Amino acid sequence: MTHLFSNARFAGVFIMLLLLSGCARNPILLQSTYQALPPHTEITSVPFYAQTEFQCGPATLAMVLNHQGVDTDVEELIPQVFLPGRDGSVQPEMLATVRRHEQLAFPIRGTMDALLNHLAAGDPVVVMQNLSLPIYPMWHYAVAIGYDLPNETLILRSGEIERHTMSFSRFDATWARTERWGFVVAEPGTLPTGITARNALEALSAYEEAHGPRATLSSWQAFVKRHPTNAMGQFALGNALYADQQPDNARKAFERATELNEKMGAAWLNLGLLLLQDGAPDGAREALTQAAALEGSWQEKARLALDSLNND
Amino acid sequence: MKTLRTYLSTLLIAALVITSLPVAAAPASPQSMDLVSTQSALAADRTGADRERINEILARADVQDQLLKQGVDLDEVEARVASLSDAEAQQMADQLEQLPAGAGVVGALFAVFIILLVTDILGLTDVYPFTR
Repeated sequence: MTHLFSNARFAGVFIMLLLLSGCARNPILLQSTYQALPPHTEITSVPFYAQTEFQCGPATLAMVLNHQGVDTDVEELIPQVFLPGRDGSVQPEMLATVRRHEQLAFPIRGTMDALLNHLAAGDPVVVMQNLSLPIYPMWHYAVAIGYDLPNETLILRSGEIERHTMSFSRFDATWARTERWGFVVAEPGTLPTGITARNALEALSAYEEAHGPRATLSSWQAFVKRHPTNAMGQFALGNALYADQQPDNARKAFERATELNEKMGAAWLNLGLLLLQDGAPDGAREALTQAAALEGSWQEKARLALDSLNND
Repeated sequence: MKTLRTYLSTLLIAALVITSLPVAAAPASPQSMDLVSTQSALAADRTGADRERINEILARADVQDQLLKQGVDLDEVEARVASLSDAEAQQMADQLEQLPAGAGVVGALFAVFIILLVTDILGLTDVYPFTR
């Protein structure tokens, strides 16, 4: 009888293991990725700093920031990003600390294909992993620096290992537990390839909050070049141009924004205010009327501007 | 408390300035014209709510308190809060406790060690590099 039970237990464990390993056997890369990318990539110019204790956050930031030519080190970064009470570093502060060093942090699309494409384009990627299981998490940041397609391995600067190679499937299992979170770093005025328009907008806007519109102008110009039909991009470019004392170019950008999205009240309002300033009351009235007719936070302001225009 | 007051007074000043100058039509000082900022347009795009702004400002005071509690140096706290975007500050205020904090491999209990050893060998985790 006991014999039977122990056999049953064995079988149960065996089935469990099969199920567990089954989870990791999904196809990880698209066929097109195999065809489009070079078989090997390794960004060897990324420096390595071994993490001490819980400092993988500061260590990964030091690696990518130094790679960008920023003069900083782990010692300087620890007080900027490490949370003593949590024995680690959290994602929003990782992005914010990159901006403190006057670089932009762009979250990437969470797929292995996107990750490898960034590496092939020469951008190291900071990835967050849960090296352990969800019930006993060990959160970890590392820098992906390359891959080997024929061997299906990823190359990382990770923890205390300068060149950590890991199979795609093992890496993806640990990465999936953070919903495949990762980011690339770029200097103002450049936009890494493969970043979605939405993620780029958020990244540029956050940079602008910290450093002002003039410091972000070159990045908005790069964004508009990459996504010429994005109305929000044109709008943001208009604001940055205006801050840079280029009202004519700003007006053109706002005009483009309203052409691309005629429901964008904020763009109509800014266009109207600029036309008003230019001494073009007819154009201003038309733009402000559009803004006042669209529901949103700009409505009130557009109405006030219209009223005073009509009273003049 | 002092910083909360700073934020509130900034907010009040901004509110008063904006409402007392309904039309920036005076061409005398072109750079003072108050256009709708990219951040508020993006925020409106995200949530559609205008009073988000006020919540975000209160969130920053909250994050400041939390960072102090987590042992961040007083000298560093303000700079760290200031470097967060509004959306990030909101996220930190709402869920700092739940946010995963990347730290790396730390020691595990024996039972956990055995389980992780097995999952490592299966290629599901990456706790012990010597398994390969």
